[in-house]
Amino acid sequence: MNSLRSRLLLIAAAIGLSVFALFPRQTAVREKTPDGSFTETTKRLWPLKYGLDLQGGMHLALEIDESKGAVADKKDALGRALKTVRNRIDQFGVSEPVVQLAGDDRIIVELPGIDDQQRAQDVVQQSAFLQFQIVDKSGALDKALPRLDAAVRSRRLDVSSGAPAADTARPSSATPLSGLLSGDTAKKVTVAASPDSAKAAVGATDSAKRDVNGPMTRLLQAGQVPGQFYVKEIDVPRLTRYLADSAVRAAIPPGKVLRFGADTLAGAPGQGTFREFYVLDSRPIITGEFLTDAKPNSDPLQGGYIVEFEFNAEGGRVFRKETGRHVRDNMAVVLDDRVMTAPTINSAIGRNGQITLGGGTLQDAQDLALVLRAGALPVPLKVAEIRNIGASLGQDSIDKGKRAFGIAIALVIVIMVGYYRFSGGIAVVALGLYIFFTLAALAGFGATLTLPGLAGLVLGVGIAVDANVLIFERIREEMDRGKSARLSIDEGFTHALSAIVDTSVATILSGAVLYQYGTGPVRGFAVTLVVGVAASLFTAIFVTRTLLLLWLDRTGGTKPLSI
Amino acid sequence: MLRIFHNTKYDFIKWWKVAAIVTGAFIAIGFASFAVTGGINYSVEFTGGTLVQLKFKQTADAAKIRAALDAAGIKGAEVQQFGAADEYTVRAQDKALVAQQDAGAEKVEDQIRAALSKSLGAETYSVVRTEAIGPKVGEELSRRALLAMVLVSVATLIYLAFRFEWRFGVAAVAATLHDTIVTLAFIKLLHLEVSLTVVAAILTLLGYSMNDTIIIFDRVRENLKTAGRTRLYDVLNRSINDTLPRSIMTHATTFVASLALLLFAGEVIRPFAWVMTFGVVVATFSSIYVAGPVLLWIEAKYPRKASTGAAARTDGSAKRPGAVATR
Repeated sequence: MNSLRSRLLLIAAAIGLSVFALFPRQTAVREKTPDGSFTETTKRLWPLKYGLDLQGGMHLALEIDESKGAVADKKDALGRALKTVRNRIDQFGVSEPVVQLAGDDRIIVELPGIDDQQRAQDVVQQSAFLQFQIVDKSGALDKALPRLDAAVRSRRLDVSSGAPAADTARPSSATPLSGLLSGDTAKKVTVAASPDSAKAAVGATDSAKRDVNGPMTRLLQAGQVPGQFYVKEIDVPRLTRYLADSAVRAAIPPGKVLRFGADTLAGAPGQGTFREFYVLDSRPIITGEFLTDAKPNSDPLQGGYIVEFEFNAEGGRVFRKETGRHVRDNMAVVLDDRVMTAPTINSAIGRNGQITLGGGTLQDAQDLALVLRAGALPVPLKVAEIRNIGASLGQDSIDKGKRAFGIAIALVIVIMVGYYRFSGGIAVVALGLYIFFTLAALAGFGATLTLPGLAGLVLGVGIAVDANVLIFERIREEMDRGKSARLSIDEGFTHALSAIVDTSVATILSGAVLYQYGTGPVRGFAVTLVVGVAASLFTAIFVTRTLLLLWLDRTGGTKPLSI
Repeated sequence: MLRIFHNTKYDFIKWWKVAAIVTGAFIAIGFASFAVTGGINYSVEFTGGTLVQLKFKQTADAAKIRAALDAAGIKGAEVQQFGAADEYTVRAQDKALVAQQDAGAEKVEDQIRAALSKSLGAETYSVVRTEAIGPKVGEELSRRALLAMVLVSVATLIYLAFRFEWRFGVAAVAATLHDTIVTLAFIKLLHLEVSLTVVAAILTLLGYSMNDTIIIFDRVRENLKTAGRTRLYDVLNRSINDTLPRSIMTHATTFVASLALLLFAGEVIRPFAWVMTFGVVVATFSSIYVAGPVLLWIEAKYPRKASTGAAARTDGSAKRPGAVATR
C-alpha cells in the first residue's frame, strides 16, 4: 500500500511536471504589421516548437565564395561574415531566426515563416559594399577606346558570337542583377544623339579619330556628362564578356574602373532599354565602413525612394574634405560595383548623404538601409543549400499528420481494448500518458517537432503498446499455469522486462546515431524516437503496473483479471 | 479472455524452403530491376540537385511542364505528379546541372522558375517547396547517411554479441540483414525516393526487426532449459508458436500506426511510411523464416559440445545462454 501510494505520487509528479512544461506561456514574438514593418509583442503560445518543414520557412547554408579570388584566413572571414549576417537577420524581422556556424566552413541561416525566398537570400548574400567614386571627366575611356577595340579584335571576342549565344538568351544569368535593386526604373532618358549630349561628351571631341565600327566603341553612346555612357540593354552581356577578358582589361586606362549602372533606362521609342555605363576613379573617396546609420525615406523631389545615411565624425571629415576638392564633379555612389546614382557635387558634403533608388519599392529601400546598417560582408558568400517550404504546405503537413495521429490512436485503442479488455483499457490510459509525457518532454527540452518527428510520434503510438503486449501475454501465460492474479502480474512484469529493454536499447542506438548524423528534420525524428522510448518505458512498465496494483488493491485480488 | 493463435502447433520451420524461394525471388526481381530501370532513386539530398514542388492554379499537365523545361534547355529533369492533380515536382539531378549549383545552389531553381514563367505564365503556379542542394553538401550528406547506416549496424552487432551466444547472434544478424536487403528491393520496385528520412526509416527498422527475433530467441533459450533431448527443430517451432500471439499483437499495433501514416499523413512523408509498413511485415517474416533456419543450420554445422552435459545450463544470464540440446 505504501509503495502503491509512492508510485501514484511519482506518476502525479510526472503529470504535474508535464502540465507545467506544456502550459501555454507568454512568448515574445515578432509580428508583421500591415505596413510591412515588425513589432515585438507577447502572446500566449503552446510551447512546442515546430520545425521549418511544419511551420514553413527557409533554410540556407552559406559558404565562402572563392570564385573571384581565394580567401586567406577562411575561418576568420567566416566568423566576421557570421556577425554581419546575424546583424542583418536580426533586423530583418523574423521571429526566432537561427544564424550559426556549422562545421568550419558553413553558415546556417534558418528563417521561419519567410515567404519571399529571393528577398531573404538577397538580404543575406548582398555584399553591401558601398563606395563613393568620382566620375572621370578626362575622357580617359575615349582615348583608350582604339586600344580596347584592338584588344577585342585581337582576341576575336567580337566574332565568336555563335558560342556565347547562351549569354544573350539568358541575360539574367550573365548579369546577375541584385533582385533588390533592379526594379524597372521610372527614369526616362532620351538617348538619341541630341546635340546637347554630344556637346556634353567633352572627351569625345576627337570624333574624327573615333572608330565608330570598333567592336567596343559601337556599343557605347556618350552620356549626359563626361565619363558617362549608355549601353543598349541587349548589349550588356556582350560588353560584360569583353570586359572579362584579360587583354581587354589590360587596355583599360590605369587608375580607372568601368562600372554599369544599377537600373535600366527607357530610351526613345523603338530603341529599347539602356543601361548607364561609367568610367570612375578606381580610388574611392570614402567607403561604407564609416557609415553609422541608414534609413529609408521617400524622395521628395522625384518621387520613389531613397536611403539616407550618416557617417561618423571621422567619416564626415574625410567626406567633407574630398567632396570639397571635387565640387562640380560627379560622384558615383557605387554599391556592390554598380552605380546607384552619380549626382553632381554642388558643395562640400559633410556627414549626411543619400542614395537614390531608381525604381523599387519601399521594401527595397528598407532592405538596402538594413544591409548598409548591418555592414558589408567581408567575403562574398554563396549558397550551398536551400530548403524552402511554404507555410501552407507546412500547415497541410501538420493537419494531415494530426489526422494520421488520431487514426493511429483510435485503431490501437480498438485493438488493445478489443483483445485485452480491462487490461487493454489500462494500456490505453498508459498510452494517453505516453503521448502526454512525450510532448511535454519535447517541449521541456526545447526540441523541435519536424514532419519526420511527427511521423515518429504516430509510429510511437504503435510501438509504445508493444511493451504492454509483451507483459500482458506473459501474465496470461502465468495465469494459464494456474497462478493467482497478483503473482501472475509480478511474474509477467519480471519476465517481460528483458525483451522490453532489448527493444529500447536497439531503438535508442538508432536514435542516437541518427541524431548525430542527421539533418534538421531527421534529427527531429531521432529526438522523438528516443524521447518516446524513454516515455514508453515509464508508462508501459511503471504506470501500467501501478494501475494493475491499484486494481489488485481495490479488489483484494479476489476477482479474475480481465486480460 | 479473447485469444488468437493460442496453443498452436504449426510446423513453421517445415516451410522454410518455400519461404526462402519466395524471399529469394523477391530480392532477385528487385535487384534485376536495376538492370531495367537503373539505379536507386536517390533524393537531391544525396546527389545534389534541385527539387521544386509546384502548385498550379488549375489542373496541370506533366507534358507541358516538361516541354517548358526542354524549351529552356533544362535537361534530364524529372516531372512527377505529387498527390493532387494540380501539384507536381520537378527534380533536376543531371550532372551538368548539379555542377552549376556549385557556384550557388539557387542557380537551377532560378532557371526552372524562369522556364515555367516564360512558357506557362508566372501567375499560373506557385512554388511551395524547394530543395536545392549543392554538390558538396550532397556528397557530405551521403557520406553521413552511409556512416549512420554502418554505425547503427555495428552497434547492433555489438549489442547482439553481448546479448546472445554467437550462434543466436549470427542468426539474428542474418535476419536483420535480410530485412535490409528485402527493403532495398522493395524501395527499388516501388521506385521510392531514398531521402534522409527514408534512411531514418531503414535504421528504425533495423532495430525493430531485431526485436522480434530477440523475443523468439529468448523463448528458445527458455524452452531449451526444459527441452531435455528434444530436437532444436522442435524447440524452435514450439517457441515460435508460443510467441505467436504476442508477435501478431505487437506487429498489428505498429502496422496500423504505419498504415495510418501511409494513408493519411500526406505525400511528403509517404516514402517513409511505405518503408515502415513494409518493414513491419518483413520483420515478422524474417524472425521466423530467416533467423530460425539460419540458427538450425549453424547448429548443424557447429554443434555444441555434448560433453558439457546433455541438459541445459540453468542460469539464464545474458552472456551465457549456453543451452544445449542437439539431436
